[in-house]
Amino acid sequence: MFESIDIAGSGINVDQTWIDTIGGNVANSSDGVTPGQPVYQAQYVDAAPVPEPGGPGMGSQVQKIELGSAQGQMAYDPTNPKANAQGEVAYPVVDLAQQMTGLIESQTSYQANASVMNKSTAAYESILHIKA
Amino acid sequence: MADAAQSIGILQFSLDSLVQQQQAIANNIANVNTPGYQATQVTFASSLAAAMADGGTATAQTVPEGLASASDGNNVSLATEMTLMQKNSLQSQTVDNALSDQFTVLSDAITG
Repeated sequence: MFESIDIAGSGINVDQTWIDTIGGNVANSSDGVTPGQPVYQAQYVDAAPVPEPGGPGMGSQVQKIELGSAQGQMAYDPTNPKANAQGEVAYPVVDLAQQMTGLIESQTSYQANASVMNKSTAAYESILHIKA
Repeated sequence: MADAAQSIGILQFSLDSLVQQQQAIANNIANVNTPGYQATQVTFASSLAAAMADGGTATAQTVPEGLASASDGNNVSLATEMTLMQKNSLQSQTVDNALSDQFTVLSDAITG
């Protein structure tokens, strides 16, 4: 019952997870470490539809959080306390432009899902008011 | 005269279809960023015709929307879905009102 509301909620969940990963990726984009140490790996949301046999489907879900490069990218910065003998520091591979684009996409999708939730609620309420 | 039960049956079918259509729209919007997802739509008008032919017992069918896919294989158009949702909402209200009217007529007939 009231499936449309659950479906919109599932979409909002995916978008929220997406926004959270973007927050983490941007916040950690300049975490330099000594090469060889574990470097922050960018997180990417892998979404998939939730199938419903005989019906339109039950929304979307986060299937997996994919991780970006574990090696990071090297920058020459010999004055950095974390630089190695060659003067290199390892930084996470985070494409800021890509993250910002994803933020706008997830925000739009979040709003669309919230709008679906409102409309569905109104439709269900209208059904509940049927009377002689 | 089409009896009241038949009218109510058809309206009930319409309402079921509209609820399912709303679910399909919600599902399409929830998957607007899912790679490879293909939009689905409930064929309302054609299945209503089938329902009227056999007394309001047909079920709504879900078919893929035939739109071109984006580079990630997803073919959901947010604008299309929002338009459909708006239309669906008004159609639901119309059917809800019609059902209420049918019940009012029945009630009047019973109480005199």
